[in-house]
Amino acid sequence: MNLTRRQFLYTGALALTALDQVGRERLGQARGLLTDPLLDELVGRALAAAKKAGASYADIRVVRRRYESIATREDRIRAVELNESYGLGIRVIAGGAWGFAASSQVQAAEAERIAVRAVEIAQANAQVNTQLKRRPVVLTPDPPQVDVWQTPLQKDPFKIPLEDKAELLLSINREATKVPGVKFCTAQITVIGEWKLFASTDGAYLEQSVTRLGPGYSATAVNAQTGEFESRSHELPPMQAGWEYVEQAPLLKDARRIGEEAVQKLSAPSVDAGPRDLILSPSNLYLTIHESIGHPTELDRALGYEANFAGTSYATPDKLGKLRLTAPELSVYADKTTPGGLASCGYDDDGVKTQRWDLVRDGVFVGYQTTREQAGWIGETSSRGTSYAEDYKSFPFQRMPNVSLQPGKKELSLEDLIAATDDGIYVSGAGSWSIDHQRYNFQFGGQMFYEIKKGRVQRALRDVAYQANSVQFWNACDLVGGARSWQLHGSLNDGKGEPSQSNAVSHGCPPARFRKINILNTNARRRA
Amino acid sequence: MERERQKQKAEALLGRVLELGQKMLPGAELLAAVNSGRSANTRFACSEITSTGDVEEVQLRLHAYFGRRHASTEGNQTDDAGLRALIQRVGQLGRIAPEDPEHVPLLSPQRYAAVTGAYDEATARLGAKERAAAIASTIAQGDEQKLQVAGFYQHRSGLSALGSSSGLRAFHPSTEAQFTTTARTPDGSGSGWAGAVASHSGELDPAALARVAIDKAVRSRRPQRLEAGRYTVILEPAAVAELLGFLLRALEARTADEGRSFFSRPGGGNRIGDKLAGEGITLVSDPTDPATPGTPFGEDGLPLRRRVFLDKGVVSSLWYSRYWAQKQGKEATGRPGVAQLLGGQASEADLLRGVKRGVLITRFWYTRWLDPQSILITGLTRDGVFLIEDGQVTAPVNNFRFNESPVNMLKNADALTARTVRTPGFGPLMRVPALRTHDFLLASVSDAV
Repeated sequence: MNLTRRQFLYTGALALTALDQVGRERLGQARGLLTDPLLDELVGRALAAAKKAGASYADIRVVRRRYESIATREDRIRAVELNESYGLGIRVIAGGAWGFAASSQVQAAEAERIAVRAVEIAQANAQVNTQLKRRPVVLTPDPPQVDVWQTPLQKDPFKIPLEDKAELLLSINREATKVPGVKFCTAQITVIGEWKLFASTDGAYLEQSVTRLGPGYSATAVNAQTGEFESRSHELPPMQAGWEYVEQAPLLKDARRIGEEAVQKLSAPSVDAGPRDLILSPSNLYLTIHESIGHPTELDRALGYEANFAGTSYATPDKLGKLRLTAPELSVYADKTTPGGLASCGYDDDGVKTQRWDLVRDGVFVGYQTTREQAGWIGETSSRGTSYAEDYKSFPFQRMPNVSLQPGKKELSLEDLIAATDDGIYVSGAGSWSIDHQRYNFQFGGQMFYEIKKGRVQRALRDVAYQANSVQFWNACDLVGGARSWQLHGSLNDGKGEPSQSNAVSHGCPPARFRKINILNTNARRRA
Repeated sequence: MERERQKQKAEALLGRVLELGQKMLPGAELLAAVNSGRSANTRFACSEITSTGDVEEVQLRLHAYFGRRHASTEGNQTDDAGLRALIQRVGQLGRIAPEDPEHVPLLSPQRYAAVTGAYDEATARLGAKERAAAIASTIAQGDEQKLQVAGFYQHRSGLSALGSSSGLRAFHPSTEAQFTTTARTPDGSGSGWAGAVASHSGELDPAALARVAIDKAVRSRRPQRLEAGRYTVILEPAAVAELLGFLLRALEARTADEGRSFFSRPGGGNRIGDKLAGEGITLVSDPTDPATPGTPFGEDGLPLRRRVFLDKGVVSSLWYSRYWAQKQGKEATGRPGVAQLLGGQASEADLLRGVKRGVLITRFWYTRWLDPQSILITGLTRDGVFLIEDGQVTAPVNNFRFNESPVNMLKNADALTARTVRTPGFGPLMRVPALRTHDFLLASVSDAV
């Protein structure tokens, strides 16, 4: 793109004059988000220092992360906070091994010191890997990019007055607790801002700003006499969006219904365990996709790089192109460009342009999530662009993009799925979730559960969880909703890595039906 | 000394932020918390060093109270410009925050118990070379047995400090080193794990941990099929701590009194005084015990002292925040930051003795709430599950999903080891024994190895 900038980064501080000649005004327009021209000097000096100390490759991230949270319960504020972290992280390859160091002091001299420290760490690691004759880190030759990217939004949520946010939450609590039997309601809004400047010795120079929103609330009904209680959470997903997303959402409108459903759960009959047909709403199925397809198709996990913590995977490379992962009518794709997707952005933390590709095509496992380091491990020549670091002090590594299930070709609705079901359970919203370290055995709960008999919803149930083997479960899917029933849901907190890093990720899907799935009753008090 | 340097820096920072804060926000009450220090790590996997990190940081959290209105903000820019921005931000937020009916005034200066054993200079000086050497030895051990090893070596040194406009001052320096490793057979048929955490890195023995993980991986090759069901189980400390953590989270008096906790009494009140388990079960939180050296103050500056939650199987107390204690006429205890399940009389070999048919479990994974009313938890076993027959470990078996409660784990426990260990993991610092318990629901088989 801009050769002058690339040259500047290659040659470090010497090219500072060249940058001045290009003219800051033009660069400012090109980058749009430019906040501090001093960072240009810092970036150049850091990368030059890393090279001088012996790095064959180096990149730097200057990251400002803002986290605003307002949390309420009933008629009061539990917490109002605005947290911010700012700093730089430098990652290098020296002697064929990674090194990384970070500092909260965003100054050129400090950046040089940190760059040298990162190289020293890489050299200590390289000594071990070289002695043991391990393969060196090699990056795919993805082209360096120079660009800006930011969340498309109309209203910056950080600029919405705190009073407006608090009043919305307290109104929700007031409305929900008007329902007889509802004793508690907690409501909160989280706003996360992530501004990032990335530059590498390959010549990448990228500035991105991502804004994520997480509104939500939960009502709790209590029966003091029996000691029983049940909670019901709103299902509005977190989203990469502006404040207009909250304004358009029926949060307050739904508050009474959410309260009523908490009460309804309290008196609902406990489910009878056994195999039943299962219809999952997008607000539940997204998490099942996340755990049973999203994580297994992370290449580092499949090859053993997460063996000590997050685990490995049933989807090993020998099964690529062969494993019948889902029913043949289904396709699942990864996409870091989905509008509103929590993992969407312009470029990943290796500086690679984001994209969409298939993980499961017509039922067959066909793709992995990769980074510049990993793609070569399976013979691919370019990265899928899924590198991410949570903040300035975190080492970037492979993180899940948005992973979504394509809608069915027939335009079926949720109602159509229910009408086609003789004896089943419909599950809405996310509850408890757990899956083994190779992603075979999972068990999920939900928010609301309804019994279906002869094509009609009969009554609410409680104490429901479904348990299955991932591949068997996906092959038991025989009906999916059409494009009009497809919804994007997601989570702000997906954990992976040591030290554990959080990643925000969305999953789109239509409602779907799964045949003869093992339903559990989770009420241990019945036995006691 | 690194510890002194950190303390002086924190003292100066607290002094400066409170001085500036009182000038910029006249009339406000201020509480500042500093967490400073350095943390560094090296990861390894597939028998090679993979990623690494090293960061030095100061985090400053500032709470401002304007009567009953309050807000908090956190930042890591601690020069005067950064402090002014932080103070301005908390001032803006605090003034417009709605009034909080639960507000309690800041504490006056408190006395804190001395904590010994929390800080070690040698641990503070650890670096990439020491980590790489420990990992190289682990990889070499794995190579000898033709196993792939993965793991994580992390250490940190730091200081937690508090200061307030009401005169509170509190400092707690600490260090920690943690080493965990997983060994796997190349064919994916066996896996073993071991790990430890200590305040003094000298107490960590990565080579010994590697031997345990490798031995388990070798012995767990080609597991036999064992059906799901209720079993007598021997839980190693990592498994005990993982499940016990959920019980700790339920020990809050407020949710119990509000009728939405396992510790709620039907009809009202809480379950203090109820007998939950046998005489051998005692659960304490004591940050001043060198076995569990923790921060001796809470986020609000409240001194944290020894508390007994389960005394010989009886619920002897729950924890109270300052607000809830005031409302209920009780003593405020603060949230426990450390926990210890006291050991019993048994050796590891004693746990096996007399078990006709049972399962030995190394650790749990992906534990989540199923039902808060009974503290029913789901999760899975991993990295070393063995069949016990007639008091002997006889064969490796498949992994399981369990659906079980820590309350049942304690109620049905009939033997605890005398030896207790600190276990690596998230959440509060915990020290627990291994234990034997009965009627434990291994609800379904997992094909994972």
